[in-house]
Amino acid sequence: MTSNPADAGEKTSSNNKVIEKGDGYSIIRRSPWIVHFNTGACNGCDIEVLAAITPHYDPERFGVKLAPSIRHGDILIITGAVTKKAAERLKRLYEQMPSPKYVIAVGACAISGGVFHNSYSVLAGADKVVPVDMYVPGCPPRPEAILQGIVKLLEKIGRKEPPPKE
Amino acid sequence: MTISKIIEVPYALEIPVGPQHPALHEPVLLKAYADGEEVVRVDIYTGYNHRGIEKLTEKNTFYRNIFIVARVCGICNLVHANCYVRALEELLEKYPNDRARYLRVLAMELERVHSHMLINAVMAEIIGFDSLFMNIMRDREYVMKAKEVLTGNRVLSDYLMVGGVRRDVDSVKKDRLLKLIDRVLPRVKYYRRVFMEDDTLLKRMVGVGVVSKTDALRMSLVGPPARASGVKIDVRSSEKYDAYDEIPFNVVTRKEGDVWARMMVRWDEAIESLNMARYALEHLPSDGNPVPDERRLPRRFPPGEAYTRVEAPRGELTYYVMSDGKPKPYRVKIRTPSFINIINTASVYVGYTVADLPVILVSWDPCISCMERVTVIDPRTGEKRKVPVKELAGGGSRRVSQRYSL
Amino acid sequence: MNGEEHPVVKLLVDKGLIEPSSERVKPNRRIYTFKPERIREIISTMINNLGHDYFYISTVIGTDFPDKKLIRLDYYIVLLPGEETIVLRTWLPRDNPVIDSILDIYPGVLNAECETYDLLGVVFKGNPALKRGFFVPSDLVEKNIYSLRKDSGV
Ligand code: SF4
Repeated sequence: MTSNPADAGEKTSSNNKVIEKGDGYSIIRRSPWIVHFNTGACNGCDIEVLAAITPHYDPERFGVKLAPSIRHGDILIITGAVTKKAAERLKRLYEQMPSPKYVIAVGACAISGGVFHNSYSVLAGADKVVPVDMYVPGCPPRPEAILQGIVKLLEKIGRKEPPPKE
Repeated sequence: MTISKIIEVPYALEIPVGPQHPALHEPVLLKAYADGEEVVRVDIYTGYNHRGIEKLTEKNTFYRNIFIVARVCGICNLVHANCYVRALEELLEKYPNDRARYLRVLAMELERVHSHMLINAVMAEIIGFDSLFMNIMRDREYVMKAKEVLTGNRVLSDYLMVGGVRRDVDSVKKDRLLKLIDRVLPRVKYYRRVFMEDDTLLKRMVGVGVVSKTDALRMSLVGPPARASGVKIDVRSSEKYDAYDEIPFNVVTRKEGDVWARMMVRWDEAIESLNMARYALEHLPSDGNPVPDERRLPRRFPPGEAYTRVEAPRGELTYYVMSDGKPKPYRVKIRTPSFINIINTASVYVGYTVADLPVILVSWDPCISCMERVTVIDPRTGEKRKVPVKELAGGGSRRVSQRYSL
Repeated sequence: MNGEEHPVVKLLVDKGLIEPSSERVKPNRRIYTFKPERIREIISTMINNLGHDYFYISTVIGTDFPDKKLIRLDYYIVLLPGEETIVLRTWLPRDNPVIDSILDIYPGVLNAECETYDLLGVVFKGNPALKRGFFVPSDLVEKNIYSLRKDSGV
């Protein structure tokens, strides 16, 4: 992937054409770059995501690497209950990502709102805002579980299942 | 420097930092105004992570709230639960036995070690010392393992309950814990030496973000940032809750008040904590079962108020719980330390360079913020643009988080 | 903690600025009541007598009492070096809760004042940073709801 944000727009449109034909996008399976976004987590999930990218768990054997910016990312990892304020931000971030893009919701909060689902400032799970491809349950999930979620998603990409519709 | 200064300087950039930072439990947005390389003003925006927890606790029962407050901050979940549970115990006047008190201290000190190691690792990463980051994170896994052996889970453990803890340790677990502590301690000492001697680290940290003792108190700083400026406050030694009156430890303070001092205080505290954990394990009292019978706990809480304080890894954490005799609390107020440390320190950045910004931010220990670097979003010079991220919180000026500078 | 009163507290009591109350916040924290208009006087007396180095305001807690039609405001102050916590308590009318801000003489209360305003609607007169939507989502701001009031319905 080129990393110049300036031509991201162009690339997106050409990528979309490829997707319509149903092939080609599975190439990111070899080395997906992940971006992590906290929509209102308690940090429990965040430190486990952080732990999952350290050598003890070694995600680079799957080619997984942390992207320096959202415009370079292929997989968005969402942690935490989506607060109303963060929802808009999340939507914008998702739109900034180049296609093809995938989303993993990590933790009970990102799946359904978790213990916060009753609160006035929480919208609920991440799938209320962006399409989610993979859910990793747990509060927080272990780093192994997060990696397994990523690997499962890579298998899904390898099977050339198209990303979910918005 | 004042705001008017920026208008005079035509080449001012706005540098948004965040809010993709998973920083503290309130993801913040720092907006820095720079004159060339020099930061002239910093605004802080917050509220991305307001989850309405205080209201939520009024809607749930006293016991269910233990699980909610543990999720205020995942990194310091045990101290949050401890503070809340102790407030309930004060209301009920029902206190845990000695063994439970020692086990609580053990769990909380392990939490402190892993938290301090995490933020030091993040600091190494921010500075660009990636291999040090990876090494510290690897050794931190031993601490996580120890936490798992003791409490049953790596991060959120819900280990505490009113009148005691949820699990006891037996001799097998005790041996494993001691072995793990023996493994971590030399590593922590080694990293402390690295932070003490390594030139790259020293060059970035010494003399940066200096806070004097008076300023630290005036800005209500707490925890390691306050202690690094020579303020000797430590709730563990003044409040002597749980078993802290029996377990010996030193309160670490430093005079320098810069970023380096804050990180060194954390390393020294991590060493203290490991020693305390070992002491607690070796002197574990055996005065009965630390796990109370959940069915026997009182269902009703007498009316009253309690205000408890604990020393979280990031500083003083306080809970206020008020009961009016109903099954649900009337009011719960949580005052978290890192929120104060971040929000009240907007003035410290002024005068340092843009590259120092993340270093100073991390030194307050805003949980983790290494995922995103400082990004200059719009490097247009020549004009001072007005709040470009206004829509960021949801569009319209009314929705923008409060902007202020000190 | 059962010992003597701190000298500065004694001074404030002697001046008639605060009044000791027989109640206690557990575990054994003394409560003093004061009139809301005296807050600036109290804090500046403390600063003048102690300097900034020997006390800090830990938090400000507002509680809503709809049946009494009052809002209670507690200032939790920690006196160093003994780290004794005292509670300064005042009551404001619920329909017009206004108190003077102490932000200019004590900057550390910034977050507490903003939070109390946003969640409970207590106006701190003279604090330029007060604004709705600091924490709460915008739909509540538009409906003009203060989430921590008991009748807010959220
Ligand atoms: S799922 Fe659990 S650990 Fe993760 S953010 Fe939510 S409360 Fe925290």
